[in-house]
Amino acid sequence: MISRNAEALFWIGRYMERAENHARLIDVHYHLQAEEPLVALQQGGDEEAKDPLCKWGRIVDALGSRGAYEQQYGAYTEQDVVYYVTLDRENPNSLVSCVNYARGNVRTLREKLPAEVWDTANGFYLWLREKQPADMMRESPHQFFSRVKEWTALFQGTVQSVMPRENEWYFIECGRYMERTENTLRILRSAGLIAPQGAGVSDGYDPVYPYLQAVLRSVSAYQPFRRYYADGFSLESIVEFLVLNTAFPRSVHFSLHQLDDHLQGIELMEKSMRVAHDRVLRQIAKIKADLACLEREDLSPQGESPVVAHLLQAVQQLGASFAQTFFRIGEASA
Amino acid sequence: MSIAVQSQFHSYDADSFYDEMFERDLKVRAHYEGVYRTFSRMKPPELAARQQALQQRMLEEGITFTLYTPEQAEPLERTIPFDYIPRIIPKQEWQLIEQGMKQRVRALNAFVHDIYHGQQIVKEGIIPRRMIVGNRYFRPEMAGLEVPGGAYMTASGIDLIRNETGEYFVLEDNLRTPSGFSYLYRGRSMMSEHFHDLYLSSAVADIDQSLNIFLRSLRSLAPSGKRDPLIALLTPGAYNSAYYEHTFLAQQMGIHLVEGRDLVYKDHKIYLRDLRGLRQVDVIYRRLDDDYLDPLAFAPDSMLGVPGLMNAYRAGNIAIANAPGTGVADDKAVYAYVPDMIKFYLNESPVLNNVPTYILDRKEDREYVLDNLKDLVVKETSLSGGYGMLIGPTATAKEIEMFERAIRQDPGRYIAQTTMQLSRAPVMVGGEMTPRHIDLRAFVLMGAEEETHVIPSGLTRVALKEGSLVVNSSQGGGVKDTWVLNR
Repeated sequence: MISRNAEALFWIGRYMERAENHARLIDVHYHLQAEEPLVALQQGGDEEAKDPLCKWGRIVDALGSRGAYEQQYGAYTEQDVVYYVTLDRENPNSLVSCVNYARGNVRTLREKLPAEVWDTANGFYLWLREKQPADMMRESPHQFFSRVKEWTALFQGTVQSVMPRENEWYFIECGRYMERTENTLRILRSAGLIAPQGAGVSDGYDPVYPYLQAVLRSVSAYQPFRRYYADGFSLESIVEFLVLNTAFPRSVHFSLHQLDDHLQGIELMEKSMRVAHDRVLRQIAKIKADLACLEREDLSPQGESPVVAHLLQAVQQLGASFAQTFFRIGEASA
Repeated sequence: MSIAVQSQFHSYDADSFYDEMFERDLKVRAHYEGVYRTFSRMKPPELAARQQALQQRMLEEGITFTLYTPEQAEPLERTIPFDYIPRIIPKQEWQLIEQGMKQRVRALNAFVHDIYHGQQIVKEGIIPRRMIVGNRYFRPEMAGLEVPGGAYMTASGIDLIRNETGEYFVLEDNLRTPSGFSYLYRGRSMMSEHFHDLYLSSAVADIDQSLNIFLRSLRSLAPSGKRDPLIALLTPGAYNSAYYEHTFLAQQMGIHLVEGRDLVYKDHKIYLRDLRGLRQVDVIYRRLDDDYLDPLAFAPDSMLGVPGLMNAYRAGNIAIANAPGTGVADDKAVYAYVPDMIKFYLNESPVLNNVPTYILDRKEDREYVLDNLKDLVVKETSLSGGYGMLIGPTATAKEIEMFERAIRQDPGRYIAQTTMQLSRAPVMVGGEMTPRHIDLRAFVLMGAEEETHVIPSGLTRVALKEGSLVVNSSQGGGVKDTWVLNR
């Protein structure tokens, strides 16, 4: 396989996963009733730092686009944020851009991939390309995001059902799980900004609750979480669940182990590449070991969690090694 | 202040009854302004499109209600009519309702405890003994039994109405297995997703946390304070008309949804048959009437219950929510005594009043009622869901005659109430706001140590037939989302 193809496959998996995650995250946060003073940014008390506290700021923050957004727009308003994260082609991280890149990559591989995979990616892109911000708001953002999730599910289902389990498949899946691991970690990092519980509790009603629930819903973890923790809604339990749970498919633990499995599936002929491949495998084994040694106390959810930051950094380094090993073009493209 | 001046409103009648949205001169009430503005701006095609989208979603999600009628071989599965103009309750009004609900449920809980223990309230002559022992929901099996956490009614639904001046009255207490939670929650998610602009600009009180409180209340009942109790919702099964609600609650609270046949009784304990073997059940939230709970204790031919359940209960190895025998307090005749209970047990005066009620066993009450049937509402005490009811002002002479005979024959079976001028709220009919009568079912949750919570919303039921006063879903009623405002 040509390195260029490997890279394209990896990014197909990654961008489709990202589109799905974005849809879920934006949908959930969009429908939150915003009550600004409930969320406190931990570091810095200057006036500007208060801006990202509003829910629109948090959406951008959880997508990891804060810097880029603030450069382009002054303030966080509903209209700007919703456009920026969904239909803005100038934003390389918007929904439409993700789908556009994924489809572009499928296109470079059309002759190698099953025809159905292209049909789905292209259909998704064409559908999204037609959308105008006004349509989206008029119909219902929830409906729009549900359709996006249906398209990504269709794409994943097609890939799953028709792709031979060969290198092409493994690269797509590596991209998917790399993205998923990072996504869950990013959401946890931004959840650290939620104000501590118990502050404004009155009459058994905790004003932080809707935000905690939104964290879970943004990774579809609400129902499974309930099964494990019942009414024990706390940021500690949520972080523990989303990092360490072994059965939930969007936990850091689960995605990282899937990433490992699919990484091992890749077969290489050349010796020097096999050596590099082994090195990446050792790198991921190390992160797995870090996870396995975590105690609940280490997770310290409030504020900047060192563990979440460490994991995020480790996964990003893993991404860089992966690119160096398989793509040989040095930098990954996003 | 906006006044409804559009031509479509020239015929809106806000004058004959108390209207939730409009004052008598069609001035829009302050807390309804946002809603009014939104809906009067929408064009009929857009409204129709949203209506269509809502209907479609209810079907897809299977939010349905099963209607069994004797004439029909195939039961009718249909979506409950949902009207998308929300009913709005301002913060101050809600605070009063909340206070009234907590007070009422605390008194009712104390009453049930008393009935199954010392019966002080009977001894002091406040409630006649025959009202208790003659009550078909009185369960002698419960006498002397200490229920877990002291909570008899973990989940209750109290029906409220407003009169012509907008004052709230309690119409009915539902303390056995009240339903409607799922309509409340699904109605809310449909509104927040399909009328997102209006919802997000309206400071509506959050209801999601109440599900957590519901779960916590159930967990708090676990005998011997078990840390991680196993909780199961006991359903009569997929053919029950409220089955959708059972799946909804089990799913949202992450508890097991079980039928009687999934449970076994062994060594005074109840176990769940599970692939992992038998697992002990600590709390049962049952959506099954007392009669069917345990064929060894109650109706012997019940196939739905769990033989031995009452033994396990008496042994203190399981909590049942709501406790068996709570029905003794939601009987329509006992209802008339709730204000006395509040005085007797809490030494408080009622925050919310009852609808004036006549006890037909009393001679003077009965004579008055028989003379004025055409102005009164008559209800059979043990029936609910709008069955066995006479609404005097709209009844035919034949119906009145029938009830007259029935009352003379067995007066204790009936009560009569003043006809209330139920308040109205606009519903959308063919793109036009049209007034319809409504009521409100408020849901109260109670855990151990009488920790009570009122879900800040409720189920607003609508009598969709023009002029009708019957809001029950089994009688063609619909529902609305209910928004309690935060400010």
